Amino acid sequence: MTFPERMLKIDRRIIFLVIGLCTLLPLLYPVGLPIKISSEVRGVYDHIESLPEQSVFLLSIDFDPASKPELYPQAIALLRHAFRKNLRVITMTLWVSGTGMADQIVTQVAKEMSKEYGTDYAFLGWSPGGQAVIINMGQDLYSAFPSDYGGRPTKELAVLNGVRNLKDVGYMVDLGAGKPGVEEWYVFGKDKYKFELGGGCTGVMAPGLYPLLRSGQINGLIGGLRGAAEYEILIDQKGQAVAGMDAQSATHIAIIVLVIICNVFYLSLRRAARAQGQAG
Amino acid sequence: MIFLRRQLPLLITLVAGLLFAAQYYVPHPASEQMLTSATKWLQIIGGFALVLGVTSLFHLHAVKIRRQEAGWGYSLVLYAGMLGTIAVGLWADGKESIEGVMTSFGWVYNYMMVPLQGTMFAILAFFIASAAYRSFRARSREAAVLLVAAVIVMMGRVPLGEYLVPLSGDVASWILNVLNASVRRAILIGVSLGAIALSFKIIFGVERSYLGGGKE
Repeated sequence: MTFPERMLKIDRRIIFLVIGLCTLLPLLYPVGLPIKISSEVRGVYDHIESLPEQSVFLLSIDFDPASKPELYPQAIALLRHAFRKNLRVITMTLWVSGTGMADQIVTQVAKEMSKEYGTDYAFLGWSPGGQAVIINMGQDLYSAFPSDYGGRPTKELAVLNGVRNLKDVGYMVDLGAGKPGVEEWYVFGKDKYKFELGGGCTGVMAPGLYPLLRSGQINGLIGGLRGAAEYEILIDQKGQAVAGMDAQSATHIAIIVLVIICNVFYLSLRRAARAQGQAG
Repeated sequence: MIFLRRQLPLLITLVAGLLFAAQYYVPHPASEQMLTSATKWLQIIGGFALVLGVTSLFHLHAVKIRRQEAGWGYSLVLYAGMLGTIAVGLWADGKESIEGVMTSFGWVYNYMMVPLQGTMFAILAFFIASAAYRSFRARSREAAVLLVAAVIVMMGRVPLGEYLVPLSGDVASWILNVLNASVRRAILIGVSLGAIALSFKIIFGVERSYLGGGKE
C-alpha cells in the first residue's frame, strides 16, 4: 500500500482526536478573534431596538436539549435585549421536550434582569397541535393557552393586557430547531395575522431559511452559534456563544485542512493510476 | 358498510378541504369563528396523537421483549426509562420545579435527558469530520464546484476563516444570499406546486391511500 493510499484509509480515531483537540484547546485558551456582524442578525436586533417600551414581544422557544448549544445562547441574548428595552415578553414553546428548558431560560434571564412574572413577562408553556396552536393563537390566544405553565389563567396576567391574538404582537421571534419552527410560524402565523417575524435556527438549518429572508417574509435570521455570538456582541454582553466561536473556528479550519489533504492524496492516486494506464 | 368505510370519509374530506381552502379568503366573523373551533379541535386531536404514539411505542417494544428479538435488552431499558419518567412526572405534577425547587421530574430532565441529547448531537461533529475526510472528494467537475463552495462557506462563517482570508466572509454571504436562496426558492416552488396538486387529488378523491389498502 502506497503512502497516499494509507493516508486515505487513515484510522478515524485520529480524526476524532484532531476534532477533540480543536474543540478543547480554544475553550481552555481563548483567542477572541473579532466577529463581524451580518445584516441577517442585525435585522432582528434593529427591529427590537425600534420597538417602543411596553411593546409585546413574543418568543417561541421551539427546540429541545439536542440543539441547546446553538439555540440556548440565542434565547438568552434575545431575552436580555427584550428585557433591557422594557418590552412585555411572552414566551412559549411548541416542542414538548423543550418545555423544562424553556422555563429555565426565561426564569434565569428574568431573575438576572429583575423582572416580575405576570407583569413584565410570562411563560405560557406547551400546548399540543403544532401548527394548529399557531392558527389558534392567531384567532384567540386565550383559547390556545387558557392557562400559563404554572397553571394561572392567562386572562389574569397583566403582561397580556390588550393582547387578544397574534395581531396584537409587536414582534415575534421563533427559535426553531425543526418542525414546527420558523417556516410554520410564517405560513400559519405571519402570512394570515400580519405581525413582524424574525427567526433563529441551528447552523445547519440556516441556508434553508434564506429564501424567506430574501423575500422579506422574515426580517432577520440568527443562524447557529455564529448568529448567537453576533447578537451577544450587538447587545454588548458576551456569553457562551462568543466563547464557543474560537472552538468552532478551529474545528472548521481542521475540517477544511482534512478535506484538502484527502483531495491531494486522492488526486495524486488518480494521476498515478492514469499514468500507469497510459504506460500499459 | 362500504358507505362508512369509503364514501363517508371521501365526502368529509371533500367538504372539509373545500370549506377550509375557501375560509382563508373569507374574513367574515362566522368564518373566523369556524376556524377558531376547528383549530381547537385540532389541538385536542393533537393531544390524542401523543397518547397514540406512546401506546404504539409501548406495544412495539413489548412484542420485541416477549419474542426476545435481537436487541430486546434495549427495549427493556426503554420500558424502564419511559415508565420511570412517567411515574416521576406524575409524582411531580409534570413540573420540573416548584417555587424554584427542582422536582424529581426536573432532575430526570436536567441530569439525564439534557446531557444525553446534548451528547448525541455533539458526537455528530466527530462523525461529520470523519465522513468529510472519506467522501468529500473532487470526483467530477460538479463535485469540485460543491467542494470549493463548501470550503468558502466554512471559512467565511467563522472568525478565524475571515481573519485568514478576509474576502471569504463576503463571498460566503453572497453564496448563501444569492446562489443558495435562488436554488432553494426554486425547490420550494416545485415542492409547493406538488403539494397543491396532491391536495386537489386528496380533496377530489383521486388519491385514496390515506383510507388504507392503497389505490383501488
